[in-house]
Amino acid sequence: MSLVEARGLTKIFRRPEKDPGLRGSLKHLVQRRFKDFRAVDGIDLSIEAGESVAYVGPNGAGKSTTIKLLTGILVPTAGTVRVAGAEPHTDRMVNARNIGVLFGQRTQLWWDLPVRESLALLRDMYDLSPAFYKQRLERLDEVLGLADLLPVVARKLSLGQRMRADLAAALLHQPKIVYLDEPTIGLDISVKDRVRQFLRELRQDGTTLMLTTHDLGDIEDVCERIVIIDEGRKIFDGPLAQMKDRFARVRRMHLQLAEPTPVEKLAERLPDVEVIAGDSPTEVTVTFDRFTHTAGQIIAGVLDVVEVGELHLDEPAIEDVVRKVYAGELLR
Amino acid sequence: MRRTLRIYRRSLGAHLRAVLEYEADFWVLIVAGLLFQVLNLIFLSAVFAHVPALNGWSYPEAVLLAGTYGFVNGLGPLFFEGTWRLAGKINHGELDYPLTRPAPVLVQVVSGGIGLHGVGDLIGGGAMIGWGLAHSDIDWSPARIGGGLLLLASSATILLSLIVVGNAASFWVGGNHPVFAMTLIRTGDMAKYPLSIYGVAVRATFTVLVPYAFISFFPASWLLGKESAWIGLLTPLVALYCVYLARLVFRLGLRRYDSAGH
Amino acid sequence: MRPYLGLLRMSTRRILTYRLNSLILWIGGATFLAGSLAVWHALLSQGAIGGYDWDQMKAYLLVGWATASIGSAYGDWWMASRIFDGHVATDLTKPLDYQWARFSEHMGGLATEFIAIAIAATAIVTFTGGLVVPGPGQALLFAVSFLLVAPLKFTIAYITTMACFWTQNFMGVSWAKDAVVTLFSGALIPLALLPAWLAGPAAVLPFASITATPAALYLGQATGWEALRLLAVQAAWVLVLWWGARLIWRRALRALTVHGG
Ligand SMILES: Nc1ncnc2c1ncn2[C@@H]1O[C@H](COP(=O)(O)OP(=O)(O)OP(=O)(O)O)[C@@H](O)[C@H]1O
Ligand SMILES: [Mg+2]
Repeated sequence: MSLVEARGLTKIFRRPEKDPGLRGSLKHLVQRRFKDFRAVDGIDLSIEAGESVAYVGPNGAGKSTTIKLLTGILVPTAGTVRVAGAEPHTDRMVNARNIGVLFGQRTQLWWDLPVRESLALLRDMYDLSPAFYKQRLERLDEVLGLADLLPVVARKLSLGQRMRADLAAALLHQPKIVYLDEPTIGLDISVKDRVRQFLRELRQDGTTLMLTTHDLGDIEDVCERIVIIDEGRKIFDGPLAQMKDRFARVRRMHLQLAEPTPVEKLAERLPDVEVIAGDSPTEVTVTFDRFTHTAGQIIAGVLDVVEVGELHLDEPAIEDVVRKVYAGELLR
Repeated sequence: MRRTLRIYRRSLGAHLRAVLEYEADFWVLIVAGLLFQVLNLIFLSAVFAHVPALNGWSYPEAVLLAGTYGFVNGLGPLFFEGTWRLAGKINHGELDYPLTRPAPVLVQVVSGGIGLHGVGDLIGGGAMIGWGLAHSDIDWSPARIGGGLLLLASSATILLSLIVVGNAASFWVGGNHPVFAMTLIRTGDMAKYPLSIYGVAVRATFTVLVPYAFISFFPASWLLGKESAWIGLLTPLVALYCVYLARLVFRLGLRRYDSAGH
Repeated sequence: MRPYLGLLRMSTRRILTYRLNSLILWIGGATFLAGSLAVWHALLSQGAIGGYDWDQMKAYLLVGWATASIGSAYGDWWMASRIFDGHVATDLTKPLDYQWARFSEHMGGLATEFIAIAIAATAIVTFTGGLVVPGPGQALLFAVSFLLVAPLKFTIAYITTMACFWTQNFMGVSWAKDAVVTLFSGALIPLALLPAWLAGPAAVLPFASITATPAALYLGQATGWEALRLLAVQAAWVLVLWWGARLIWRRALRALTVHGG
């Protein structure tokens, strides 16, 4: 059995229906109406030990809600969850020792306490031995630069500092599975790089990762598998490379030509393909659909017209793919 | 259990250290707590300047009663202050993290703060108890001392449990402030006067429905040997029942917890 | 004017949004009133104390409770928390006068407070058999004085919340204020029953205008010129505190820039 197993996972929230304005408030006072809202709608998900999964989808897709269901914070309306054999919301204590959780928008540090005190409290809750605790702190200090933050009261930390301290808090007990909900939100580039580096190391240590993010750079650096959801339903689940293969139809090839060549001449030779002049007369960019043409065909076509010096094929940008998925262009 | 207590103690200790950082606040809070007890005393002394007794309770006895109520009330802020932040935590989805940690959520909530105004209540209430005892007519014996302490511990347990029950109501009530709990506890303020001044409906309510009367009236009645003093000896049982109730309500509430969007 | 009315409406709506909370708050207030009534009923069963018999004390307690209710729906918490969580910075960027804006919000609670007071009065009449009512002249004086309670209580709360700029903990300050107001306004016990060493300060502090003045007018203890004098004192306190608040606010703003909010 997989480390994380979710079957038909569903969460329905009840929302009050209220008309706007004072009238609405008064009316709701007398006559309370509610509407059911399916935030997560029958999701099946299995994650093997050691995998690192990116969980993406547009705003409001149900990502955070899924994580709350997997961590036992919310009780599912329907469906089952097993994490390392335990049901998170009923075997809460058992599950808690296996997992580490970070919600990027919120801190788990105690607001009025210095970071050191927060970490010490977590040490007590997780029953960490003094030696283990010390060793973990040293390790976390190495990668996250904790030392400066320890004496500072959580409420006085900047966002980036807070996120580092929060990562330390989530990983202090060396959990088997780590759920990260937008761990790089609001961070500057250098802190972001540091966090990503840290997540890569975590993965190499064999930790299972599940990560939601809107910054697709996080995914490319850290994850090998991607799950895309929208409106509470799963619309793609597979290796990152496979998603690119499947959905990135458009490829772009940049060519350095031996001598200046008008683009019309090339376009004539390569019908159904877009040819654009580059910065200099000897550069062109060819954009083609990889389902109708192969890169080889394109090169052969160009070679018919002119010698080629250098060529370079753009990696399909995951960003483009995801954008299209969100826009509903590549559904199901 | 030992582990739970340790977590509770450490958490409370950490918050105490944090609060002590702000020395000015420390004094403001203690003075504020003390002021409320002084108000009680002023009220009683002003009233007893005009009447000899309140429904058979003399001035020292009434002071003892109000002092007991004040003293027990000081324990809430000192040991259960975090409970009052539950409403805000529910509203902002801040129980998410506690739910992912291997420690009882209730313990994490309860120990999440400390209110030093409790010290003022303890000092003021304690002084009133001391003065009241010294000027009341009590035939002391070891059993009476032991019983008195047991009843005091029980009455504290009752009040702390009521604080949990009231605040756990926020799981149903919603909103950012623990208004239900405030109402529940403030209503209990009526128990700082002899219960016998109230109508039968109030007496029944305070004895059976919400046992405010067991916080100060019945224990003090037992100590002073008032009529139906024996009811005071039920206080430990009522305390056990309240603990059970508090745990139940909190557990049921936690099941309703819906986190917050984002 | 328009934006202030908008704030007032917003505030009313906020209170209604947390309607259950408001309701419970009123129930809590009502039980407090019931408690005081019971104590005094027992105390006065042997005869009047300090010139108050049961009927008068009933009216006194109702007035005391009503004046204590004014402003409680809005609450100084609300203002204080805006200072703590830094919202005050946003408030300051609005093209509104800060003090008037907060006052408008404060007044937004009045509608619900009046309803609660009406319910409490009805309950007292129903359950304790009647309530003394003043004649038309005294009633008018009382109404004026009661209306003045709203701005008076606002300025006191407003000045108190400014302590947030200097201390981290508003709660203690707010409680200390409540204790002082309760004692010196007459809400704890009629000022005439206080020992001399407390009655002295009570006479010169602004708090007597909150409860003792409206109650004296309601009960007809102050009539004619004496009544007008009390009203004048009350109005004077409103003005003094209103402008005093402005002065303190100016200083507080300096503290704000120093601490960075
Ligand atoms: N506690 C709640 N009560 C009611 N509705 C909720 C609650 N939590 C989430 N929702 C709703 O469920 C839907 C999914 O929310 P969720 O937070 O899971 O989205 P998300 O995918 O994490 O979005 P984002 O990328 O914006 O963080 C949203 O429409 C949200 O309004
Ligand atoms: Mg989210």
